[in-house]
Amino acid sequence: MPGTVIPRVRASAATTPGRLTLIMAGLSLLAVLTGVVGLTTLQGKASTLDDLVNQREPVNAAAQQIYRALSDADATAASAFLSGAIEPAALRDRYSTDVQQAGIALAVAATDISSGNSEAGLPIAQLSADLPAYTGLIERATANNEQGYPVGSAYLREADNLMRTVLLPAAQKLYDIDTARMSGEQDDAAAFPWVLTVLVVALIAGLVLAQRYLSGRTNRTFNLGLVVASGAALIAVLWTAVGLTMSTIYVNKGEDTGSGVVTVLTNVRSAALQARTDEMLTLVDRGGVDYSTQFDGLANRIGGKDGSGGLLQIAELASDSSTVQPIHTAMTSAQQWFALHDRMTKADNDGDYAAAVQIALGTDPQYKESNAFYQLDDAVAKAVLQGRTNFLDQTATASNWLTILPIGVLVLGLLAAAGCVLGIWQRLREYR
Amino acid sequence: MKTARRPAALVAGLVALALAVTGCSASRTPADLTHVISLSPVVPAGMVSGAAAVPSSPGGANNCGDPTASLAPNAPLPTPGQMPANSTMQTIYKRGYLVAGVDQSTYLWGYLNPMTKQLEGFDIDVVHAIAKAIFGDPNRVQFRAITSGQRVGALTGDQTDPQVDVVVRTFTVSCQRVQQGVLFSSVYYNAQERLLVTKDSNVASIDDLGGKRVCAAVGSDSLPRIAAVPSHPIPVAVGDWSDCLVMLQQGQVDAIATDDAILAGMAAQDPNTKVVGPSLAAEPYGIGMRRASPDFVRFVNSVLESFRANGWQQSYQTWLAGRLGPAGPPQATYSD
Repeated sequence: MPGTVIPRVRASAATTPGRLTLIMAGLSLLAVLTGVVGLTTLQGKASTLDDLVNQREPVNAAAQQIYRALSDADATAASAFLSGAIEPAALRDRYSTDVQQAGIALAVAATDISSGNSEAGLPIAQLSADLPAYTGLIERATANNEQGYPVGSAYLREADNLMRTVLLPAAQKLYDIDTARMSGEQDDAAAFPWVLTVLVVALIAGLVLAQRYLSGRTNRTFNLGLVVASGAALIAVLWTAVGLTMSTIYVNKGEDTGSGVVTVLTNVRSAALQARTDEMLTLVDRGGVDYSTQFDGLANRIGGKDGSGGLLQIAELASDSSTVQPIHTAMTSAQQWFALHDRMTKADNDGDYAAAVQIALGTDPQYKESNAFYQLDDAVAKAVLQGRTNFLDQTATASNWLTILPIGVLVLGLLAAAGCVLGIWQRLREYR
Repeated sequence: MKTARRPAALVAGLVALALAVTGCSASRTPADLTHVISLSPVVPAGMVSGAAAVPSSPGGANNCGDPTASLAPNAPLPTPGQMPANSTMQTIYKRGYLVAGVDQSTYLWGYLNPMTKQLEGFDIDVVHAIAKAIFGDPNRVQFRAITSGQRVGALTGDQTDPQVDVVVRTFTVSCQRVQQGVLFSSVYYNAQERLLVTKDSNVASIDDLGGKRVCAAVGSDSLPRIAAVPSHPIPVAVGDWSDCLVMLQQGQVDAIATDDAILAGMAAQDPNTKVVGPSLAAEPYGIGMRRASPDFVRFVNSVLESFRANGWQQSYQTWLAGRLGPAGPPQATYSD
């Protein structure tokens, strides 16, 4: 068949009506194609943006929450243990809340497996399987501690070992997977629509050439159908350009003021919680593992030498007016915490273990800033929440700019096709 | 084996689950939800088992004569606060506190009491007696909790371990340790190495433990001894003795091999365990000090002389008599 099509097209291209027919068919097909590609491309972008708001962000936040809740549970369990045979109710509550939050966030994260995120299945299964083992060890540690048996501290250390070697790495893996997915979709949403651009440029160029050809062949300067088609194509181009530009601006804004700063703050938070656990375990497990060197390394990562460098400085640079305030609070709290930690270490090294425990637990009335760690954690939580809000606001706005655009472009494409057909049909009739 | 199978089993389970959930399973096999992860057991940090748990012992460790013969006191105890000039005791006195390497997790010997948040136990009493002899105040002590494996290093200037004046931590006097640079006091307690098993266990001696896992703290004498038993038990090394009890309670080891004194503390924490078997070895406990300070060893031996007469029995009654029966302090032997 194709063998006969090409000579036939060649033959009809030799005559003016034949050429006109070809132009009509080509332009109207191109217009329909542009409309359809515009519809799918823009619809794709719009649904990517909706997915970012409705699925990626909640899942990513859940992954963050799992990591945060687990490491906070570990730090809190150690603090409660350090507090003596009778656990303070506040710490017990905090631990229980953490475990519940981790479980709930795990359920949220698991919904993503059926939404096509099969990669997340392995870490989620690991977390689901080992979280009960962890809480079991903590309960056993508590039960022994309540009876004054030192084997309790061995259970606590075993639980911490499970947390550090299995649970937290799995939570980190899950967070990395979800973050990569989220930023991948952000890139997709902000990507330049090359195919659509090429089609639109070709359509407009074709329309211009067709009109020049027609005005050369006939004595009419304008062909109404082609003018309408050109108008429709131009409106589509302008609308798409404005819509996509604005949408991309807001997507990027959501990344800059939202997800970007949240990522840095999440790192601050996990490092802070790890350091807090190290601080507690230095006192629980005196002399065994060197938790104090680990603390120093993490402290340096969080705040550099003086509490205002390191990750906090990166977060400050990434922040905007809505998040900078809590980040500054976090810096002040980090400085206070590290100073307090130095006093704790000094007390411990001087043999005043009881004083070291009091400073670490924040129960020493001498130090007003004894809650510095919790203030740091609260400030970072506040900044994270603000960052998430920014992300959702900006991304939702980005999505709004694309609301009726896909359908609009399809309609304009069909209109352009109709214009081409009617306009050229009119000329063709003159040859009969 | 278990760990190797784990990812495959996991993926299979997940795929089955995902297919079941999304309902796009091509065949009509129901998803196997019993096919879950075979968990590798949770273990204490730093657990090592098999040959890797046994340190390669330096040769010629057994020809140091009688390691329990210590340096004899050569003077009566000085009045607290008036230490001889240029003595090790004076250096400690000027510092203001004695630095003692102790255990914080061995019940009845050296452990952190969660009720009082203080270190307590028989060894801790000995430390207080030394502090009292130097300062007149038994509480002028900075306790450093150290692991079994850190005991020698804490006295021989290894900078990776905390440095201390004395190690009072169920520290068995041995030729090997003497050759590594530890100077021991006279023996203040004679322990016997035995086994702790669960009450339902049929194990009566170490010979019944062929191919079974036996736990001991890293750096302890028990590990090479377990490895040398003809029936070949599998030695398992952990950081602290309390980690051994955790593993026994979790069914990850079949027995713990160590001194009856330590085992008594474990049995007190878990009524479902029992101490079994004949003595595998005598474990004479001494206070470890630096080779460079023989004057301090003589001083501490003098403190022990008075502790044996006044204090030893009281501490023994408080901590051990209830579990180990009546006993008296061992006689000191001296090399000069």
